[in-house]
Amino acid sequence: MADQATFESDMTEILPQLYSAALRMTRNPSDAEDVLQEALLKAYRGYHTFQSGTNLRAWLYRILTNTFINRYRQATRRPSEVELGDLEDLYLYQRMGEPGPGGAERSAEDEALESIVDEDIKAALESLPENFRIPVLLADVEGFSYKEIAEMMDTPIGTVMSRLHRGRKALQKALWDFAEERGIAES
Amino acid sequence: MNCNEAHGQLYSFIDGESHLVGRFRIRWHLRRCPPCGDGFRFEEALKLRIRQCCRDEMPPELPMRLMTFIHEHDSDGSVG
Repeated sequence: MADQATFESDMTEILPQLYSAALRMTRNPSDAEDVLQEALLKAYRGYHTFQSGTNLRAWLYRILTNTFINRYRQATRRPSEVELGDLEDLYLYQRMGEPGPGGAERSAEDEALESIVDEDIKAALESLPENFRIPVLLADVEGFSYKEIAEMMDTPIGTVMSRLHRGRKALQKALWDFAEERGIAES
Repeated sequence: MNCNEAHGQLYSFIDGESHLVGRFRIRWHLRRCPPCGDGFRFEEALKLRIRQCCRDEMPPELPMRLMTFIHEHDSDGSVG
């Protein structure tokens, strides 16, 4: 059992990660702070139920994810069951990564990835509908396993995989669109 | 394993979620098929790039604000 008295110090290391995740979920600092404070209050109140020695980080992300989903489901009334079109495998690589003529010394993949602007990656992630954004965030940025994500989202593991895979392709398409707008990609 | 089968397992593979035998079969295919090998490496590098640049700094005064909020609201049972 965890002790409320140590809650604040137990949070020190994880709090910056939780804030950053809340920011990617809500897409703005003021909503991120609201979601985080509600999630932390729930965590504080339920801290005596947390089993010391189990994964604190996963426990907190589950509370954060639930808080976000409940809050925004209420706000938008309908869950965003937006469907993404079927995109081909290796979407971005097919467009950016293949070696051009001339056989560059450095790998074409490295150059392609370096040409992508950091801000575009954040924007591409945030452009995904909620159902797809959360699994991509939890897997790619936070490094959780499919099983952990399924528990956090209260969704079967197969659904998580399908959303994660389609979400990643949609993220790649958004990146490609941004690159085209910036004139980096020559199509 | 052909390229289509490999692509079907791309994400399980790079996420470390495929079984030992599956991983072995994919590695074998990637070694024999340079286009798939490059494509898989690209996806791995992209995943790493996403991880590295999707974190934001927390405002330094936020932890204090959050803890004050918790202590103010813990007793009255209301949220927000």
